[in-house]
Amino acid sequence: MLQLFSSIYKEILIIIRDKAGIAILFLMPMVLIFVMTLIQDSTFRKLDEARLEILFLDYDQDSLGMAIKQGLQGSGFFELATTYENKFLDQELIHQLLNKGKFQIGIIIPNGATNTIRNKAELIVSQAFDSNDSTNINEVKAQDDATIILYFDPAIKNSFKQSVKNSLQNFTFAIEAKITFDYLAEEFSDILSSPNNIYFDPKGSIRFEELYATDEHTEIIPNSVQHNVPAWAVFAMFFILIPLTGNIIKERDNGTAMRLEIMPSSYLVVLIAKALVYIFVCFIQFCLMLLVGMVFLPMFGLPVLELGPNKMALFIMVISTAIAATSYAILLGTIASTHEQAASFGSVSVIVLAALGGIWVPVFIMPGFMQAISIVSPLNWGLEGFYNIFLRGGGIKSILPFVGLLIGFSIISVFIAYQFRRFRKV
Amino acid sequence: MTKESLIKIEKLFKTYKGDDEPALKNISFTIPGNEIFGLLGPNGAGKTTTLNILCGYYKKDSGTVQINGYSLDKNLKEIKKIIGVVPQDIALYETLTARENLRFIGNMCGMRGKKLNNRINECLELLSLDKSSYRLVKTYSGGMKRRLNLIAGLLHEPKILFLDEPTVGIDVQSRTVILEYLKELNKKGTTIIYTSHYLEEAEQLCSSIAIIDYGTILIEGNLQSLIKSKSEYSDLETIFLQLTGRKLRDN
Repeated sequence: MLQLFSSIYKEILIIIRDKAGIAILFLMPMVLIFVMTLIQDSTFRKLDEARLEILFLDYDQDSLGMAIKQGLQGSGFFELATTYENKFLDQELIHQLLNKGKFQIGIIIPNGATNTIRNKAELIVSQAFDSNDSTNINEVKAQDDATIILYFDPAIKNSFKQSVKNSLQNFTFAIEAKITFDYLAEEFSDILSSPNNIYFDPKGSIRFEELYATDEHTEIIPNSVQHNVPAWAVFAMFFILIPLTGNIIKERDNGTAMRLEIMPSSYLVVLIAKALVYIFVCFIQFCLMLLVGMVFLPMFGLPVLELGPNKMALFIMVISTAIAATSYAILLGTIASTHEQAASFGSVSVIVLAALGGIWVPVFIMPGFMQAISIVSPLNWGLEGFYNIFLRGGGIKSILPFVGLLIGFSIISVFIAYQFRRFRKV
Repeated sequence: MTKESLIKIEKLFKTYKGDDEPALKNISFTIPGNEIFGLLGPNGAGKTTTLNILCGYYKKDSGTVQINGYSLDKNLKEIKKIIGVVPQDIALYETLTARENLRFIGNMCGMRGKKLNNRINECLELLSLDKSSYRLVKTYSGGMKRRLNLIAGLLHEPKILFLDEPTVGIDVQSRTVILEYLKELNKKGTTIIYTSHYLEEAEQLCSSIAIIDYGTILIEGNLQSLIKSKSEYSDLETIFLQLTGRKLRDN
């Protein structure tokens, strides 16, 4: 035990005296969580909360143009610009402005678009009510449709583009339905000779209620903070490999590892001490990252991170992830010949494992074969375990499979490192 | 094992992975107890390989090694308890103080408490590092680091001390302190096995030597007897050059 405690004390001294190392260990993960959560949140808000400026050119100047304009403005998500630097918009100017990246979206409502809807609605209604009307359904279909031109910045994300198109479709569908309904109402009024107006509710009768499939008794509300903090925390914890591989390789290069190996005590004690210290460092890192989610991010208007009711599950999950991250670092530190090798391969491998594990984009939207590969990423196991706690309100039972995988990964990593060390021994 | 053969090496053979040429070709020699034994040779001759095998850091391919009656193959743990090693590299933690380094190394050798503190103070004083012992090692000069490196190897008072070029790259003052300390240590009963390129230093320090080249022991025995036996040569350097030649050794 003397050797173990002495090695732990030595590792702690080395860590606390390396100011740059402390910044990498503690400050960088906090900055990472802070920046990534804010960025991810703002991307998420772009559709929901941020008011995006849209170039709007209304040649229609009728019901459709008005409805789209009111709909977009009323949504609170968009601001419509009808001029640019005191110049009226035209198709050419919209093209140029989007091409230069000054705006992301331009909408052009063609002249007579409302009339096109009216004509079509009138034909449909008259065809339905007038038995003498020879217009058949094919003729109705053959009516020219109006084409709303949507200009998009080529750099815009597809999901974002799709959301704008869906919003526009809702507005146009509502106005089409309203016009058709008005014609129908008119026909009914004529037939029934009723003076009463028939009310049309464009919002429809169906409402939506959102329920989250969380465990019982949990009050966690999923939001970008609940998603991002655990995801980026797992990512940051695996970057422990940079200082730890450096520590192992430096010890090997300057001869201290040799000195320790030829002492009566086992070098394994030194390695265990190293692992324990770095697991603790990972734990502190995680706590600091939680602090960012609970204290700093709310200062910037983001929701407060909720830890959920299962603190013991959270603790087990953090320690398991820390053990996996530390073991992976020990493996790389043993195999790599130089710190440059370990740092560059290690960083890239963590980024790849993070991408595969669903840190960057959710696993469920990946192609099928990528989804199959993602289950071998330890970052995925860590992420899923944390999601069970942070988003689904799960307890210890729900994280056990992921804990098992992470510990299994750790055992295999250390075993390979041990075998490789034996193999390399001259 | 008698004083005559504290360390007995027989047919020690070693080839590094990937190398065609063996680093050691069945070398055999004995090192008497209570001696300062110089293992001398040009670069790449096999000195460090021999030392690293003797302390159990490298594996040998074949041959037998007995240290203080213990077999290297069967009693490595026992051997580790009675040997100290001062490697060629400054094997210290730069961001720890001298005392922190020594306390850690002492603990790893099973030393603790007052006994360890007294021993650290004694060694630091003897090698004139007591006044700077609370400074971080990274602030030390090359000579100070070498002296501390030496203390780290002998802190636990080993019976046998292996030194791999302990005075390389340091000033005359530090070298003198180290050599005088080694002589003092030897007087107290420590057997010292020492490699160096500095033949004048070896001549001044060693009681017996072996010259090794291309993995083969060329000559072995009491230094003064060897010089006397080769009457045409007056010093170790001429014997060395006669045996190893003047060809440059880049590795």
